[in-house]
Amino acid sequence: MAQLADAETLEALARDVAAAPAGQISRIDALLLAFPDDARLHFLRGSILIGEGRPIEAHQSLSRAVALAPDFAIARFQLGFFQLTSGEAENALETWGRLDRLPDGHYLRKFVDGLRCLIRDDFKGAIEALREGIPLNQENPPLNRDMQLIIDQCLPLLNGGEREDSDTVSETAFILRQFSAREH
Amino acid sequence: MSGRAPRLGLALLQRAAQVEASLWRRFRFDGEVVCREALFERHLSLARKIARGEFRRRPAYGLDRSDFEQLAYGGLLEAIDRYDPLRGALFEAFARRRIRGAITDGIAKSSESAAHFSHRQRLENERLRSLSQGATSSDPIAALGVLASGLALGLLAENAARLLEQQASPELDAYESLAWRELQLNMLAEIEKLPSPERTVLQQHYLNGVDFAQIAELMGLSRGRISQLHHAGLMAVRERLRYKD
Repeated sequence: MAQLADAETLEALARDVAAAPAGQISRIDALLLAFPDDARLHFLRGSILIGEGRPIEAHQSLSRAVALAPDFAIARFQLGFFQLTSGEAENALETWGRLDRLPDGHYLRKFVDGLRCLIRDDFKGAIEALREGIPLNQENPPLNRDMQLIIDQCLPLLNGGEREDSDTVSETAFILRQFSAREH
Repeated sequence: MSGRAPRLGLALLQRAAQVEASLWRRFRFDGEVVCREALFERHLSLARKIARGEFRRRPAYGLDRSDFEQLAYGGLLEAIDRYDPLRGALFEAFARRRIRGAITDGIAKSSESAAHFSHRQRLENERLRSLSQGATSSDPIAALGVLASGLALGLLAENAARLLEQQASPELDAYESLAWRELQLNMLAEIEKLPSPERTVLQQHYLNGVDFAQIAELMGLSRGRISQLHHAGLMAVRERLRYKD
């Protein structure tokens, strides 16, 4: 049985990370020395690294989190989303495969369905699924903002219009603000 | 490789910096050689731009612009192999120094050598040697026919690459018929359908103007093998075009 950081430590860490993510990596690394198999720490580390623009290390941390805890749904979703935004659509689809085991009404199922539609250029299907997922998601409001941004960018494409260049999706690293031990 | 645009939905989500990082990660840490080719392709225009700038501002010592470009491609490959993506420095800044250095070294070597000849001549000799492979002396006229059609296909592919760059202007000039243009586009489409190694060789050589030596370096194969792949690829395209409606 893997040793995990206690809930109090993790909550305090998540609070501090949400307030000021810079400089928290060394703190997490210190915790990882004591709890190397704690998937939540790896996930948190990966989320901060995305925000810091260190994608190679972020990928490593998110992958480690999913390898340690295959049913850690939000980490699995984030890893797939990260792969998708990195141009690795096939890897994203493979990563998300296990999320099909979630109940039908789970917001992550809806978001994944929407993003799968988007990969196929099915913008109508993408908008519908993402819109269904947003009200179902009460635990990660920042993720709703990301999905809403995607919807906003899909809308002009419904009629075959060209999208405007803009910074695509807000940093999903914000999800770490909602980081919670109960996801594990 | 060239010409394969991501689907619109994917393009909507992709972030350039993350895509670049993904290529570095998969090349450097997962050993995916195809990512090295993708990185080369991605930064080819940088190498070309530097080559053009250096060609304008330096004495050329008998080298032409294509020679500068080949030197720049060598510098780019060296930069790709030496860059450490975890150090935080941008690849472009790192590569600029390497590319300029490779051009400087190449010019120095070239000016020392009396035997240098232009990139264009080298390119044509390479193609000729590659297409002469396997020619039999039993029917020299037929062998000559194969050689001539191979060289012609090469020229066609080279011109088709220029056509791609000029897509914005649809008007045909006096020398271009619609049928000719269609043949060129068919040629590009047939190259795209080739198996990976032949496709890479033909695309890099004719579409990007990279010579056999640099392609060999890019793909980690011998120059002789590149020559064989070039020959096989062009012959396959010839067969496919022959039986096309």
